[in-house]
Amino acid sequence: MENIYKPYLMNISDIIDEAPGVRTFRLNFLNEDEGKNFQFQAGQFALYSAFGYGESTFCIASAPTRKDYVECTFRQAGRVTNALSELNVGDTIGFRGPYGNIFPIKEWEGKNLVFIAGGIALPPLRSVIWNCLDLRDKYKNITVIYGAKTVADLVYKHELKEWDARDDVNLVTTVDPGGETSDWNGKVGFVPTVVEQAAPNSEDTIAIVCGPPIMIKFTLPVLEKLGFKQEKVYTTLENRMKCGLGKCGRCNIGCTYVCKDGPVFTAEEIGKMPDEF
Amino acid sequence: MEKTLKKENFNSLITGLKDKGYRTIAPKKDNNLVTLDEVQSADEIHFDHVQTNNSIKEFFLPKTEKILSYTLEKNKVSIEEPEGFAVKSVVFGSRPCDAASLPIMDKVFNWDCSDKFWVERREAITLVTIACDKCDNYCFCTSVGLAPDSKKGSDVLLTKISDDEYLVETVTEKGEGLIKELETVFSDPASGTPDRQVASVEKKFEIDKVKPWLDENFVHKIWAEFSTKCIGCGACTFVCPTCHCFDVVDECTMSKGDRLKNWDGCQFKMFTLHTSGHNPRSTQDQRWRQRIMHKFKYYVEMFDNILCVGCGRCSRVCPADMNISEMLEIIASEEVDSNKE
Repeated sequence: MENIYKPYLMNISDIIDEAPGVRTFRLNFLNEDEGKNFQFQAGQFALYSAFGYGESTFCIASAPTRKDYVECTFRQAGRVTNALSELNVGDTIGFRGPYGNIFPIKEWEGKNLVFIAGGIALPPLRSVIWNCLDLRDKYKNITVIYGAKTVADLVYKHELKEWDARDDVNLVTTVDPGGETSDWNGKVGFVPTVVEQAAPNSEDTIAIVCGPPIMIKFTLPVLEKLGFKQEKVYTTLENRMKCGLGKCGRCNIGCTYVCKDGPVFTAEEIGKMPDEF
Repeated sequence: MEKTLKKENFNSLITGLKDKGYRTIAPKKDNNLVTLDEVQSADEIHFDHVQTNNSIKEFFLPKTEKILSYTLEKNKVSIEEPEGFAVKSVVFGSRPCDAASLPIMDKVFNWDCSDKFWVERREAITLVTIACDKCDNYCFCTSVGLAPDSKKGSDVLLTKISDDEYLVETVTEKGEGLIKELETVFSDPASGTPDRQVASVEKKFEIDKVKPWLDENFVHKIWAEFSTKCIGCGACTFVCPTCHCFDVVDECTMSKGDRLKNWDGCQFKMFTLHTSGHNPRSTQDQRWRQRIMHKFKYYVEMFDNILCVGCGRCSRVCPADMNISEMLEIIASEEVDSNKE
């Protein structure tokens, strides 16, 4: 019988320092057959292990359209992420996944997409942004509104430049007041305010929001004001997890298990959950 | 299949099991506690108790168990899978409530994907349960749809029919196989109806009234009232035969390590604490509500089963004297809603 807790072994083939304490790993399967058989979809997550320290849960930050590797972006915060950040190119880590549900990007075909992210919450959306950009002709207007505390805290700086340069992406970046530098060309202000100013058209549009709870709390009413229906607003939740398989018993919000029923939910679904976020 | 077993034959039974390669686990007196543990002979087995201190859970879901081992060499990692964890065993003399916990937990460990550590131990262990001939005020099996002589989850059920004799009823094929393996220690039952000595456990509440109330009352002042005494020690979750939440941690030296699955509990603050410091269940009343909701609402919605067998251990062991059946009585009673806030 298969051991559901056994991770794949992955080689770290590249490391990018995104922002202070924030790092991206590019990972390749050590076993080529496992790599060939591996499939995931945008929105899914995995458990990454630093052997000797334990496992940590992050979304898969690369797009399923980019084959042969997976990427994850994490902030150094606890025991496992600190151990992960000690690792170098060529080192081995464990990877269990993909787990959880997906962003229904097939259903979104033919619609406008507005991605709204704050801080370290761009990685979960990056997977779906690149997925949609790689299938660009299937979607109408694509807008990305991204904010961080300071200019230094913005992740994927090179990709932000790339999106900014594209005619088929409308990128709005912002930093919190005081977080700007003298050469900052983006906006200054909190994400909900910037969303209100940018006022994306809600007609035939899907909004995908991810960020710290406080950002989500203030962004959802703005979207509502702009005419977005709750079932057209998507987000991805995170809760502490140990198994990712609906057994260890801690990631539930009421009857909803974030690991199995999520992590992707609509604002409508979240509205029906008990207040225990 | 029905047989009888004389108390004087217990020794031959335990010796017989040993000869057939079974490890035997049975209630054993350990200072003032009666604990399920490995025994070598029937002399070690304790019969005159209401309930063992520990449940049978730890023989299926150990307090700590290796789920993988690894060796680290420079930047290379090799993984080894644990073997030999499912030891052919008989659990002898545990209670019907404990036995009933197993088919309930089969659901969580098998839904969507199976946990082989649970499944292989389940296959390796045969359960010979003894029906309760006494009970105490903490017992409430009859309130959760069970009985002191329930067969649910057992492979063989023994019921006392006189001071020195038990009626032996096989429940599963596995149980029947076991009895056949040790045929000589059993006798054929005498004709007539045996006098089954079974405890009478008072029904304390109507379980059908619990979930409808929970469905409506996620927010209610009763959660704080119930949990003011709670010190968050988590003992209730550890002695519970159906609490199955676990943690996954690594233990490692420079070159070798194990990944372990350890018991964990929803009453601990750390259980849901995010790395950011945010905690979705930051107060004890939220954690206590989670325990009740998980057992009597969430698990029912997911698996169509209450996650409680009425063994009463959580209340017996609670240092703050919290009593779950008293709380369920309140929840199932008419007065509860006069309390709503």
